[in-house]
Amino acid sequence: MDGHRQGGIMKSIDKLKWLLTERHSIKNAETEVRDREDLLSPGISACLGCGAELGLRIALKVLGRNTVLAIPPGCMGGVGVVGYGPTTGAKIPVFFPLLDNIASMLSGIKRQYNRKGKKVHVLAYAGDGGTADVGFQSLSGAAERGESIIYICYDNEGYMNTGIQRSGTTPYKAWTTTTPVSNSYRGKPQANKYMALIMAMHELPYVATASIAYVEDYINKLKKAAEVEDGLSYIHLFTPCPVGWKFPPDKTIEVARLAVETNFFPLWEAEYGKIRFTKRIWFKKPVKDYLKAVGKYSHLTEDEIREIQQVVDNRYRLLKSLAK
Amino acid sequence: MIKVVDGNQAAAYGVKLSKPDIIATYPITPQTPLVEYLATMVARKELDAEMVEVESEHSALSALHGAALAGARTFTATSSQGLALMYEPYFRTSTLRLPVVMCIVTREMISPQTVWSGHQDAITVRDAGWIQIFVERNQEVLDAIIQAYRLAEDKRVMLPVNVCLDGFYLSHLIERVEIPEQKDVDEFLPPLELNHIKLDPDDPISVDPLTPGNLLTHYRKKHIEGLENAKDIIERIDAEFGQVFGRYYHGKVEPYLMQDANIALVAMGSMTGAARIVVNEARKMGLKVGLIKLRMFRPFPKEELRELLKDVDVVGVIDKNVSFGFSSGTVFYELKSALFSYHEPLMVNFIAGLGGADITKDYLRFIINYLEKIRQSQKVGREVVWMDIDREV
Repeated sequence: MDGHRQGGIMKSIDKLKWLLTERHSIKNAETEVRDREDLLSPGISACLGCGAELGLRIALKVLGRNTVLAIPPGCMGGVGVVGYGPTTGAKIPVFFPLLDNIASMLSGIKRQYNRKGKKVHVLAYAGDGGTADVGFQSLSGAAERGESIIYICYDNEGYMNTGIQRSGTTPYKAWTTTTPVSNSYRGKPQANKYMALIMAMHELPYVATASIAYVEDYINKLKKAAEVEDGLSYIHLFTPCPVGWKFPPDKTIEVARLAVETNFFPLWEAEYGKIRFTKRIWFKKPVKDYLKAVGKYSHLTEDEIREIQQVVDNRYRLLKSLAK
Repeated sequence: MIKVVDGNQAAAYGVKLSKPDIIATYPITPQTPLVEYLATMVARKELDAEMVEVESEHSALSALHGAALAGARTFTATSSQGLALMYEPYFRTSTLRLPVVMCIVTREMISPQTVWSGHQDAITVRDAGWIQIFVERNQEVLDAIIQAYRLAEDKRVMLPVNVCLDGFYLSHLIERVEIPEQKDVDEFLPPLELNHIKLDPDDPISVDPLTPGNLLTHYRKKHIEGLENAKDIIERIDAEFGQVFGRYYHGKVEPYLMQDANIALVAMGSMTGAARIVVNEARKMGLKVGLIKLRMFRPFPKEELRELLKDVDVVGVIDKNVSFGFSSGTVFYELKSALFSYHEPLMVNFIAGLGGADITKDYLRFIINYLEKIRQSQKVGREVVWMDIDREV
């Protein structure tokens, strides 16, 4: 079903390899970054248990002060990362691009710094709406042009900041205020846009999925993204939202972890279109375990859960067939 | 150096001489050749600039936001539907006070489907905070671009500037154009210093945080002060340009045979050339007709127009656009509003040249005769006259 049907011996060897290599890098990555300066103000007003805020703090710790940051309208803009009136939410240069020009605006910054011969990380930390919906054209254009920017999409699966509306990455049958639930209407009728795979198909130097439950994996991916000089690097970061998804704020990491453990959100990376899994799930859990932990799926019947399992399995199969 | 070039080439020469760092473009007719010429200049290393070949006009201007915030002198160009798509970053360019220079190769807006000349595109965005200069001929296209950078980057102005050249009538027609020497332009146009906002890790600031209304009101007022400052500064820039390069455009408005005129014709863009010829003819026939070329449309030169028209009996305004909902052309009602409570000449509006329709000498003769009849009768009758529809009135 999930493509993990290797023989017992192969499985053990893989596990041993993981213990020796990946586990090792976890410790290194975590200890190296943990004590670095937090470049975000402690006073930003993100909701309790916000996954996006955590993802941003980690990203800035890895990339450091030599970074220009774009925070488009969305949760992170709303909570004050760019600031309010005379105050600011970040210790690095930060700007509100338009919701739909994030990647093209950053292209201009990067080009001018290249022209001046100055190396600067040019980073977008954008929500899924600005990435998959209204800003998709400019992102795809910048990717095709090979603009050397780092683009992180924090995916909370909808317009969480403005009242929990559906976006192009809201998953199949999820409740939002614009995909309501009744007897006849069962949440979002369509599946989510597979943004990370779409970006990988641009044959970018670096594309990855990441999760705030797997910090070490995220850190390693940020480092790889930061090293890219010959094109756009894209990280699709899974950031559960307690308010919009309806789960208790102390469960954010658990929910994020379950999404990975059920293959709902597999962790992988792609260099120039070549896909590689970065997190092996040895004991895959049914997607039901994840859906039951998230309130926006509380309306689902057993049949509907089976349907979602099918969607998740199909997606994973596609990914496996591409990963070599 | 003398060249025989179309308006697009003249614009490309003006841009090249102004030495922008970053050019971002999306090609759309009739500006296509303009950006093609620039791309060729960059490829041949005649112009040391970065070309960002974006996927839309929206992205073109957006890339320039980023470039300017990193300290770049910037250029782009667009037309009609491209400008419409650009509206969101367009508004923001001026409100961020970024000194971008952009040519609008003016074209009609659809529908009905059209690709031809008209001022509707540029006129429709007149209240978005940019400076707009409308030019008459290809030499002026080139010269106005150099002037535009000086004006945009002046500390007292710090605003983006549109150089508006008529699609096809200028962009695709060929004229003699004198190309200035690079060293003279370098002297006339000092390097850009952009310090009010920037994105620089060595000097980190937060650019454009959420701003409460009482503070935003200050921004709006200062923006308008910058536009008002541009009125004086364009005069000084143009006068200095005249001394260095030998060509002078009268800053905001150019009066032609206005001294003793009792009838004035107000024109904008390439139609002014034909109007000069017909005004000359009318003068020979004894009519006291003068012509006003409105060169700067934004900020609107109210004061000069009041002064020029103070002894005129009849004013005819030719509009290559319409104001939907005001039921006249835009220049007409803006001029009327500027004159209100100062003096009240009889005023008639002529809607002409829409969608590439030719404003012929014949039609201009009709306009002058029409205005002379009004002067004699002292009665306006119909206030808005439409070319090709109301010809017989």
